[in-house]
Amino acid sequence: MFKQIQNWFDERIGLTKVIEEFNGERIPRRGGWAYTLGSVLAFLFTVQVVTGIFLLFYYVPYFPIARNATYFIKHHVIFGNILLGIHLWGAFTMIFIILIHMARVYFSGAYKKPREMQWIAGMVLFSVVVVLGLTGYMLVGNENSWWTINVLTNVASHTPFIGGFIREIAKGGTETSVLTMQHIFAVHVWLLPIVVIMFIPIHLFLIRKTGHQGMALEYKNSKLCDDDEKKWQHPDGTVPFFPDQFYKDMIVAIGVFAVVYILAVYVGAPIGPMYRPLALNFAPEADWYFLANEELLKFFPGHGLIIFSTFLIPSIGFAILFALPFIDRTKERSPFKRPAATVLGILFLLLLVYLTLIGGEPKAPATV
Amino acid sequence: MAKSSEESPSRRTFMMVVIGLISTVIGIALAVPILGAVLNPLFKKRDIVWTKLGKISDLNLKPLVPKFVPVYFRVKEGWSVNTLPRQVVVVKQVNGDLLFFSNQCTHLGCPLHWIPARQKFLCPCHGGMFNITGQVVGGPPPRPLYQWVHKMEGNNVYIQNKFKDNPKDRGI
Repeated sequence: MFKQIQNWFDERIGLTKVIEEFNGERIPRRGGWAYTLGSVLAFLFTVQVVTGIFLLFYYVPYFPIARNATYFIKHHVIFGNILLGIHLWGAFTMIFIILIHMARVYFSGAYKKPREMQWIAGMVLFSVVVVLGLTGYMLVGNENSWWTINVLTNVASHTPFIGGFIREIAKGGTETSVLTMQHIFAVHVWLLPIVVIMFIPIHLFLIRKTGHQGMALEYKNSKLCDDDEKKWQHPDGTVPFFPDQFYKDMIVAIGVFAVVYILAVYVGAPIGPMYRPLALNFAPEADWYFLANEELLKFFPGHGLIIFSTFLIPSIGFAILFALPFIDRTKERSPFKRPAATVLGILFLLLLVYLTLIGGEPKAPATV
Repeated sequence: MAKSSEESPSRRTFMMVVIGLISTVIGIALAVPILGAVLNPLFKKRDIVWTKLGKISDLNLKPLVPKFVPVYFRVKEGWSVNTLPRQVVVVKQVNGDLLFFSNQCTHLGCPLHWIPARQKFLCPCHGGMFNITGQVVGGPPPRPLYQWVHKMEGNNVYIQNKFKDNPKDRGI
């Protein structure tokens, strides 16, 4: 029976061959667990899309009704708390794993020739996912959302020359209004997910086109020197993607999914108070992945310097990350053979952790 | 029958030019309305209204003690008319002059808290500090507090949903 169905497809489009071509990709065998991070991200993104679509059955992008709609999903829709919780904790986990994925790629030098384009496609995905997180935070429609919209559009307004225009276009006017929420909704639900859906296949296609290019430990038996491009095409051993690598991907996926699910059920998504524009004791808070940036905003006082914290440092930092494969053009891949890059990377991570920790400390006292 | 591109190089060039032209025309024709939709807010006038704050004598102002008074602007936003509740911080100076501040931090717009023990406005987001006359005394804010545009008619104060000395229309 199944054989007949298979034959039916094979006669017409050669389906078995397509599947074998896809599944038979050879993966370097020693670093299998490190290569699961990308698949986990694809898996989490799928979960985000699916949960997001069904949240739309109830959500209304209208300030401040949005917060009531979110509250309704959590407290009145059957298992709505789980659906909402998965969407929130899935987003957090996704951003966290992207950071690990980027660190893994950085320390194993996997962004080097011929994989420059792949790093750039990955950076596009990273930037878009962070903006997806921020816009999602705004869409909850609670008090934090309101102030996040204002603070971030004000940050954008400090961009030289076009800042004021960006702020007005994003808000749909000079004030935060119904149009603001509608814009954020369109960006979060349509524009950015489509960008992600376009760039994931590019990211994957480039893996196939550039070949193995594994971590340095895959080439222990190789006699060729690091500068020889042929070396990186012949790892000591490979396994087929299906089922060897896919098996590892699935084990990591179920582990990550279990964590997300448990957090969704037992911690859930905090809805927060309704927006009270006249509140006198409210201290807005950013999500954890934005705390380092938030901390940066506290420095650089005064009229002339504000641009450092709102525009120059973040955009130069991003530009350096984007251009990383073109800045570091050495051929060595092992983190031990390029101590400068490794030490810089570790210092940057430590700085990020430090800024996040002090950024998360309690803000100025509401009352004394 | 027309020649195929393989038979005639000039025909190939012609086809490529036509393909390019068609793509450009479609692209521009789509980009115009999309750009219009995106840039639309830049060409809309802001709805500015006068709203009554109340009688000065009802506020029981004491010198150098800020009073937070809510004001409700009824303004047109996009396709709807909404009420925007905002805080007006009324400060009576020693010489009797009145200042009408916004409670928004001039750094990135967070809501300021008045801390009586320190006699300062404190921003809960990034630690900006202002004194009772609205001057920056600490933290990152680039300019003094925003002041609402206001007018007195008899004993009544009217506030406009607009700040003084604010050419870039920052703030909400």
